[in-house]
Amino acid sequence: MMKLTKSRLKSSLLCALATVSLSYIGLVQAKEWPEDNIRLVVPYSAGGTTDLLSRKVADMLQKELTTVVVENRPGAGSTVATGQLARGGRGSDYMLLMASPGHTIGASLYPNLRYDPVSDFAFVRNVINIPNVMVVPSDSPYNTVAEFVEAARSQQLTFSSPGIGSSVHMSGELFKTMTKANLVHVPFRGSGEALPALLSGDVDVAFENMPTVYPHIQSGKLKALAVTTVEESEFLPGVMPMRKAGKGYGLETYETSAWFGLIVHKSFPEEGMVKLQAALDNVMSSDEFKKFLPQFGAEAGEVVGDDFRQFVQDEVQKWSDVAEKANLKR
Amino acid sequence: MENFSEVLALFLSVDNFLAIAVGVLIGVVVGAIPGLTATMAVALALPFTFSMEPVTAILLLVGIYKGGMYGGSITAILIRTPGSPAAACTLLDGYPMAQQGKAKKALKTALYSSVVADMISNLALIFFASYLAKIALNFGPPEYFWLICFSLTIIVSVSGDSVIKGLIAASLGIIVSTIGLDAVYGTQRLTFDDYNLMDRVSFIPLLIGLFAIPEVIDFYTSKVAPHLRTAVAGASLTWKEFKGLLKTIVRGSVIGVIIGAIPGTGATTAAFISYSEAKRTSPNKANFGKGEIEGVAAAEAGNNGVAGATLIPLLSLGIPGDVITAIILGAFMIHGLTPGPILFQENLTLVYALFCGIMVSSVVLLFVGNAAIRYFSVIADIPKTILLPIVLMFCIYGAYAVNNSTFDIGLMLAFGVLGFVFNRTGIASAPFLIGFILGPMFEDNLRRTMLISKDDLSIFFRGPITWVFVMLTIASLIFAIRRYWVARNEAAV
Repeated sequence: MMKLTKSRLKSSLLCALATVSLSYIGLVQAKEWPEDNIRLVVPYSAGGTTDLLSRKVADMLQKELTTVVVENRPGAGSTVATGQLARGGRGSDYMLLMASPGHTIGASLYPNLRYDPVSDFAFVRNVINIPNVMVVPSDSPYNTVAEFVEAARSQQLTFSSPGIGSSVHMSGELFKTMTKANLVHVPFRGSGEALPALLSGDVDVAFENMPTVYPHIQSGKLKALAVTTVEESEFLPGVMPMRKAGKGYGLETYETSAWFGLIVHKSFPEEGMVKLQAALDNVMSSDEFKKFLPQFGAEAGEVVGDDFRQFVQDEVQKWSDVAEKANLKR
Repeated sequence: MENFSEVLALFLSVDNFLAIAVGVLIGVVVGAIPGLTATMAVALALPFTFSMEPVTAILLLVGIYKGGMYGGSITAILIRTPGSPAAACTLLDGYPMAQQGKAKKALKTALYSSVVADMISNLALIFFASYLAKIALNFGPPEYFWLICFSLTIIVSVSGDSVIKGLIAASLGIIVSTIGLDAVYGTQRLTFDDYNLMDRVSFIPLLIGLFAIPEVIDFYTSKVAPHLRTAVAGASLTWKEFKGLLKTIVRGSVIGVIIGAIPGTGATTAAFISYSEAKRTSPNKANFGKGEIEGVAAAEAGNNGVAGATLIPLLSLGIPGDVITAIILGAFMIHGLTPGPILFQENLTLVYALFCGIMVSSVVLLFVGNAAIRYFSVIADIPKTILLPIVLMFCIYGAYAVNNSTFDIGLMLAFGVLGFVFNRTGIASAPFLIGFILGPMFEDNLRRTMLISKDDLSIFFRGPITWVFVMLTIASLIFAIRRYWVARNEAAV
């Protein structure tokens, strides 16, 4: 009797084990991406523009997919976090990174990068673009880009930025190389320090992000000479794009903006990519997103997938050339 | 009158009071934990404010900011671990007081000084915002340069017994601060091609390492039987003592307000300048650094005086003075509001409702702070054999949490060893910290000044503000040298 019970117990246990194992295998097969929480890595400190935008996008994205946890990994521009993503490995199927101009500029500025900013990644989509604006203090003698370039060719003028390698800095360097103007870069630590120097006229010009200078343009303390995008910005009607405003001064192909987009490791699952892009489509067509954009003077990004990859590749090349001419390349 | 009732209608809601209370509470707790800073808490709280009313959202963030400013002092006093950078100055006298069994008095002094400074800072924000904002706008690179020169003279005050040793420590701090990419040319300086060093040495791991770790090492290596507990019982702050400190507190608050209104200078600098001024004018000079109650009051008044004043450039100019106000600026923008003159024109009711909330937050800080002292005092009752391993664990976690970087843990331990060596050789750690904070500001502003002036040196004396700081720097140096000679002669006799 005892023996029978034991053998029954044994076979029951085996059965149970087999059932559990089979159902587990079944479960594994049935599981679809995302089966885990998604990590959205912000390569800058908490509180900055990239962080703020990423948190908003994460908040909206998790309503479409699954929990999205934002993680800040600042360091060496954005290259520490980007290097980690490039290495891949465990968890990289659920790791997104909010790339920005630092991704492409960093490739020129930081020596011995252990990754390639294009070939080591897959590109989901460009989510948000923020135009830069060429601004001068209200009492500046220059009222047009042409007047400014003329002056900067005959004397030394200065431009401020919130730090070396920022899109604001590089926009100025690009302007300088295209117009052959005598412009000197004065770096500050953050826009909070850079802005007073511009408002008080200590520096002559800046190519600042729209949200930073917009209130001061509105209040009349700064004059906007041009926007750095190809088209006029809806937030500053009447302010010409740089290409038009600087026609005849070498600025015919000028274009910069602070762009933000999601990138993943190059071996990211195809299924995940399709779902992510679809979810982002939904997020970006929602009223909530459309209402959110104007608060940052931002515009919705347009390029997706391979087009986004091409955009990043072009940017890397552009900034590499500018960094070399500005003697920043290491 | 109609406007007044509109303001009250906007402000008097349960949500707003709750936001202030929760904010201050979070701030105090987070501020007290080493490595968890108010900046981090404000950034993490931001997404929760997306769905709140604008006033409620901003009051929650301001509450965290103010609570965090004070909270840092609790652990600085009790376990020599500054919860926030600005509290590094508080521990100079707060911790010795705790060791002398006067922890309760030190904690209460820190709280009352913080609350009074906070109130003064709020009043400055409400009544003098436009004047102070104008001064802030006149602060260009040459003015900053002289302000930093003046601030560097405080090294003498915090050098302990030997000015020479203080200068050595400050120089070391300046050398460490140069690690990273050069601000103008992007050249690598002392990075050894290591990516972890390219963004400069992280501040929080340095701070924790320098002050908290030496205590841990000391406990386990000391041959003398160490104190096992820091009793928090004992006398509290009396009304008479508080009255005696009021002058120091008010002076510290004013220093905090001025420094806070100028973007980019920071609460830590304000605390040290206030401390230095208190020492200079105090009859108990010799007791500073050894448990002087006035030192605690000056440091806390200095750093909390900054809290309301950093909102001055934010609200009146739309310029964030530090990282936290930059996040608060983001909160304004998310709610479709634009800080600056336009805010005062278009949303005056909202601005006044915010002012009401900010005043209330100071009162809330008093109550939350008192409760926090009661609960955090438990820390002091834990035997050090249990407490110090826990402190070490928090230090490691705190150092890691700032950048999610294991490299920073190693950095913290390295600075811990340096701090321990400093302690054993009688070198004060505070000048090292000041060198580390002010060194880059000095260099940046010197170079910026030269860049904007096209190498014309007359820019260094371009207006009344530069002259004021030139005079203050010279006076402070003369005073320091005189004191040094007097002390030397007295020692010789």
